[in-house]
Amino acid sequence: MNLLDQLTGRADQAEIFTTNGETTTVGFKANELRSAEVSESSGTSLRVLANGRLGFAGTTDPEAQAQLVENVLASAQHSDEVPLRFPGPQPGPAVQVYDADLARLSIADLSEMGREIIATIRQAEPDVHVEMELERGVRQWELANTAGLHVGDEHSTLSLSIMVERVREDDILIVFDYFATTTLVDGDTPLDFARDIARRLELARRDATLVGGEMPVLFSPRGAVVLALPLDAGLNGKNVFMGISPLAGRVGEQVFDERLTVVDDGTLDGRPGSASHDAEGVPHRRHTLIENGVLRGFLYDLKTAALSGPEVESTGHGSRGIFSPPSPSATNTVVAGGEASLEDLLAQMGRGLLVESVLGLGQGNVISGAFSNTLGLAYVVEGGEVVGRVKDVSIAGNVYQDLQHVQAISREGAWVYGDTWLPHILLPALNVVTKG
Amino acid sequence: MRERIVTALRDSKADYTEIRLERREATRVIYRGPHLETADALTDVGGIVRALCYDGGWGVATFNDLADLPRRVDEATRCAKAVHGEPIELAPVPVAQAHVTVPLPAANDFRGISLAEKRDLAARYNDIILKHDTRIQDTRVAYSDSFARLTYANSQGAYIEEERPMVTVFLLTVAREDNDVQQAAEVWSRPAGFEVALDLEGKAISVAQRAVDLLSARPVEGGRYTVVLDPRLAGVFAHEAFGHLSEADFVYANPRAQEMMVLGRRFGPAVLTIADDGSIPGQRGTHPYDDEGTPTGRTDLIKDGVLVGRLHSRETAARMGEQPTGNARATGYRYPPIVRMTNTFIEADETSFQDMIRDVDHGIYACDAFGGQTALENFSFSAGYAFMIRKGEIAEMVRDVILSGNLFATLANIDAVGDDFEWLGGGNCGKGQGGLPVSIGAPHIRIRDVLIGGQ
Repeated sequence: MNLLDQLTGRADQAEIFTTNGETTTVGFKANELRSAEVSESSGTSLRVLANGRLGFAGTTDPEAQAQLVENVLASAQHSDEVPLRFPGPQPGPAVQVYDADLARLSIADLSEMGREIIATIRQAEPDVHVEMELERGVRQWELANTAGLHVGDEHSTLSLSIMVERVREDDILIVFDYFATTTLVDGDTPLDFARDIARRLELARRDATLVGGEMPVLFSPRGAVVLALPLDAGLNGKNVFMGISPLAGRVGEQVFDERLTVVDDGTLDGRPGSASHDAEGVPHRRHTLIENGVLRGFLYDLKTAALSGPEVESTGHGSRGIFSPPSPSATNTVVAGGEASLEDLLAQMGRGLLVESVLGLGQGNVISGAFSNTLGLAYVVEGGEVVGRVKDVSIAGNVYQDLQHVQAISREGAWVYGDTWLPHILLPALNVVTKG
Repeated sequence: MRERIVTALRDSKADYTEIRLERREATRVIYRGPHLETADALTDVGGIVRALCYDGGWGVATFNDLADLPRRVDEATRCAKAVHGEPIELAPVPVAQAHVTVPLPAANDFRGISLAEKRDLAARYNDIILKHDTRIQDTRVAYSDSFARLTYANSQGAYIEEERPMVTVFLLTVAREDNDVQQAAEVWSRPAGFEVALDLEGKAISVAQRAVDLLSARPVEGGRYTVVLDPRLAGVFAHEAFGHLSEADFVYANPRAQEMMVLGRRFGPAVLTIADDGSIPGQRGTHPYDDEGTPTGRTDLIKDGVLVGRLHSRETAARMGEQPTGNARATGYRYPPIVRMTNTFIEADETSFQDMIRDVDHGIYACDAFGGQTALENFSFSAGYAFMIRKGEIAEMVRDVILSGNLFATLANIDAVGDDFEWLGGGNCGKGQGGLPVSIGAPHIRIRDVLIGGQ
């Protein structure tokens, strides 16, 4: 931390952010363990406020400390003024994100875990090719500033990215998925995750046909990411400040169906997006962003809040890297579950479409709320049952219209991509395009 | 450093070992709307050791601290011994010894140009866009430069030092009217000097105008159309929908791909030739050697409509009994090399753009690419913007144009390839490891019967 001393007298305020991490990764291809890797990473970045101007610099070169100091001062000299002060110490909640057993997993442990996952999937569907990476890692970060703040924490993470491919002549099914946790003690395990993939493959054994048009569409937790993605962009304080979020200026308004509640919560034990403080030292807490369809607020870091006006404060959503200055980012997003069971949802939709995954997630004009995607995996639902997989189907809509009328939300849900909890969401009528 | 690297390789207990070290200094200026996000400099230093054990597999160690190379070699070797798969062989290549420099004329050497001057340049482009129209709500204008020094060495005697400069300007405009938000973006990037970033004022105006124009464009009506792709979208299509299937690591790991990608199979009309060439001067994907020390060059993939080749690393070439093509590339020191494209292009034919649209009664002229995804032979792409073609003329602008379909059916439906070839820099390929510089090139092409999604 002696870099802070070097900056004293040359800047009004200074801040140092350091990270150290190490990971072990095993890779499977065509169902076999094919690679192993260890990685160490470390770096330092500085910010200063000098004459009201904010400077930033980063390095991964431990020998380049003097250069780093000069770079951050030069950066401030060429920057704009911003009405910002680095915060002093503020207590944060106790959050569990380190699991010593997880941190100790070896190459052999990860390999064994991978074999079990593949065996679980192939028990349900023998004729598949699995490509998978399993990674365990430990990462520490530390933040200190000249206002006396000194925070940091240590995360253990187990993550798993997987692609399962089933080929039968001209019929190709590819399932992509991602799992992440900071603990092996609570919550879903990698094997639960594998069982869920197996279930999706089993449901996809039979084919079904569908005639396009407007129909009820049920989004599974993974499918619902296509709806959550534009909300993530629309609730980001930076997009609000820039005036490009369709939600800007609408706090207090009923913007969605009253069934929809969205919470950002960086205090949940075990989740990858959790920590006691954000990367600028602002404490994490639970934020309700959309409450029964009414817009309650946005996500801010220090700078975006400062630029947005004196009444706006950081919500503890500053996210940063060694080479990336802080910017607002969600921690863990939770779309609240509803009253109905999944069974009820399937029963009340009549004949319709169940969306499990889309291709081209995030393509197109996300900030506007528009989505238009070919579906990766989707099923036809009829008489309360999944009757089979349907191919060559696409959906299109806009979340700012389509989420104004939600038919039902299930109480069951799942963590998707590690940091987003989503239930099943049933929309009463969406345009579905089919081939032919 | 050379002695330390050579010693560490010599003492390695693996059957094959390589070390790649990188030191990169970069500066950037980013504006978002009227606000400067950052004007800063960074230094990134790191390395990777990759080891192969014949009784195991590949092991990798990556790091920022370059101090103890023998320890990194041991870690990679320990990883290599932990895995067991089919035996891995490497196809032979000439042992490369090279020192590659990219001379930048002093006036355009960005390392000697002040952060203030770079900031003023970005500010000028940003102001042009912001002042262009009252409906322009947001921008992202980024100038960045980077100068990397790489050292690659392997236990078979290769030793290559290479300089890699890169200058990039990115202009994004977001226009808003009531609840409608539209955007347009362009990027210029080449491994060259500061001149890459200059004289883009006219381009800034056209990017700004396009975002504004999209506000009054109506969404396209879904259906099947004859589609003319502009060179950028044609190039992205060649890279994304076809090029990735030509990567041999994908082919050998995948029985379905082996069936699909049989050399000699007809893929398209005789006017269609697609190739990859990592040796074209001045392009983003160009290097004399790939990240395994294999010389780069031209590889025809589709020639006169017939599949004739694919892209290889040393491992995939040995496995498939073909020649290495110099396509083993890595996105920096965090990653081992995998089979990647370099500069991928559709070769020009003879049809003029006017002839291409002349007999289209009701079609779409689709330009630029927002993004896309492919899953084996199925693809989905969104155009950045598009126009209707009515009775042989370019008509009104339309938006939300998403093209999707089956690669083979779509390639077979190409019925015209233009005479107006263009290189389009600024591409990044995201395969597995995130952004790796590539170039794409193409003329206009016309495809019959393309499924266009729409509301």
